[in-house]
Amino acid sequence: MTGHMVFTLLATVLLMTAQPLTVGAVERAEAEETARLLAKLLESGRMVIDRNQALIDDPHKGEKGFTPELFEEQLRQEFRMRTGIDLTALPKAPVSITIPPLAKELLPVLVQASREVIRDAQVVINQRGLGYKNFIPATYGSQASARFSKSVPLRLKQTAIEPRNPKNEPDEYEASVLRWLAGRPRAEAYVSELTEGGRTLRVVMPLYYAKDCLSCHGEPKGDLDISGYPREGHKEGDLAGAITVTAPLSGQ
Amino acid sequence: MGLPNGRPILTGRSSGWLACLAVLCLFLPGCGLLIDAVEQVWPVTGNRVDAICTRERVQVGLAMEPFRPFVFPAIWTDEGARVTGLDVELVRAMTDELSRRCGRQVSPVLHLVRFRDLFRLLNEGQLDWFVSAVATNIPAPDRAGVAYSIPYFYDGGIGGIAKNREVIDRVQANLRDQAIHPYADRLSGRSDALDGVTIAVQEDTSAHHYAEVNLSASRLIVCDSLPAAFEYADSQAHPPIDVILGAHPVLEYMVKRVRKDWSLLARDNGTPLFFTKGHYAVALAEESYRLRWLVNDLLLNLDESGRLDDMRKRWIDEEYAFPRRASLEGLPFDVEKMAAHYVQGTCRIKPGN
Repeated sequence: MTGHMVFTLLATVLLMTAQPLTVGAVERAEAEETARLLAKLLESGRMVIDRNQALIDDPHKGEKGFTPELFEEQLRQEFRMRTGIDLTALPKAPVSITIPPLAKELLPVLVQASREVIRDAQVVINQRGLGYKNFIPATYGSQASARFSKSVPLRLKQTAIEPRNPKNEPDEYEASVLRWLAGRPRAEAYVSELTEGGRTLRVVMPLYYAKDCLSCHGEPKGDLDISGYPREGHKEGDLAGAITVTAPLSGQ
Repeated sequence: MGLPNGRPILTGRSSGWLACLAVLCLFLPGCGLLIDAVEQVWPVTGNRVDAICTRERVQVGLAMEPFRPFVFPAIWTDEGARVTGLDVELVRAMTDELSRRCGRQVSPVLHLVRFRDLFRLLNEGQLDWFVSAVATNIPAPDRAGVAYSIPYFYDGGIGGIAKNREVIDRVQANLRDQAIHPYADRLSGRSDALDGVTIAVQEDTSAHHYAEVNLSASRLIVCDSLPAAFEYADSQAHPPIDVILGAHPVLEYMVKRVRKDWSLLARDNGTPLFFTKGHYAVALAEESYRLRWLVNDLLLNLDESGRLDDMRKRWIDEEYAFPRRASLEGLPFDVEKMAAHYVQGTCRIKPGN
């Protein structure tokens, strides 16, 4: 399987330039870069939630001011920092290899889906007297990707080898990639592969446990965490799961 | 128009009477007489059962103020905002039963609103029924027009909790004194155990109604919710809350799992102090005769099948984390309706108290 995998965007671009620039190659490159950017955007959203976790879980505060507008502002900043792309300038940005037309179309859809998640969560976020509300990066990510995937032909998903949410169970392809990634050291890389005879592009972007995650996913293994799930006994830097994108290609 | 024998039905005189009756009928709906009279002959409102089956949805009210373990605070899950608890499981079980009766899938539409608004929405016909640890036996003037099902929970009642050891000792001393010199009026005896203490209650709950009528010698603080009462108590505001009165099983859950710094008021021998006993039931509109029979039957089925008992054990006795249960079995609710007015609220000293 490793022979089929391409690591890092650079490797992908090199591969493309080594081949004749067919319509199919262009379509793949566009889909792959779009998938990468979508995964980065979802990851940015997760980071924004993580950064505001203390505010969200503040039992003494009612109205938190963590509105969809504020979230979007922070999301744009985080995404810009990670990719160099300014989402506010996206409509007027020229089409290029870094911002393909498909990405121009789909990134705002994911921003909107994320905003809707934050809007619907206000009722939970603004509860006073309740600390932990289960509004965490993972639950935001599940909802945002589910909403996004309903409205576009691409499928965005969070997955893990042993996910807490059964809906995040990996399919056969995702499971094989996750197992392969788990045996390798942490790297800022992603896996991209054509499946189904080149009709589908699969992109898998790994997520790793940070220190903040370990209060629920760390030691002691088996002890229940604040949400009632048994801790997995993970350590900082362990593979937590992945954001995956499944994109159908026309196959031309 | 006439009968087969040719006699006219409406004479000039009788049509005048009918006209008068028709005019009179226009004034009847306001006092409810017309609705009640028609209901006896043809149960119009009883058709709510058919309406529920036809629309495949049942409108259910739940208090948004948490009454753990009956209704937990709304929480976020992978599927969105969810609410869980014994009452939520009851709603799910009742709806499953209802689906069987209707012969088609009926879904519950949850309305999470303030406890005090549940009664109003029920009277306005916006809810088919509501549950939220509502005791059936509380004399309260503002609960007119509400009827109750057979109970689904039998160990309710009003109890109290306190944080300060001196307060607990004082209440117990009062109870001891009464045991030696029993009151002829037991009701006064129980309430006098709280003489001189500052009491917090949630507005419009059974505890509030009890306190209004029976605790004239205590200072009363009325709160919008139980969490608001705890917050007020924690804030060291003046006057400090000595005792929180409320639904005994709710208070018991709180002191065992959430607020372990508070204790249930109890007698010397350790038996819990009840100011009254109560059974919890489903609240329905008084005139929903057919629906009431149906709900009673649904609950009887759940009782006889052992499901109600299982629910009580699951939520009262077992150790669990409610966020996980919310994720696995919680029900969604109309977020947009709730978001605008959800606040935990505050506490106020009852004027002139």
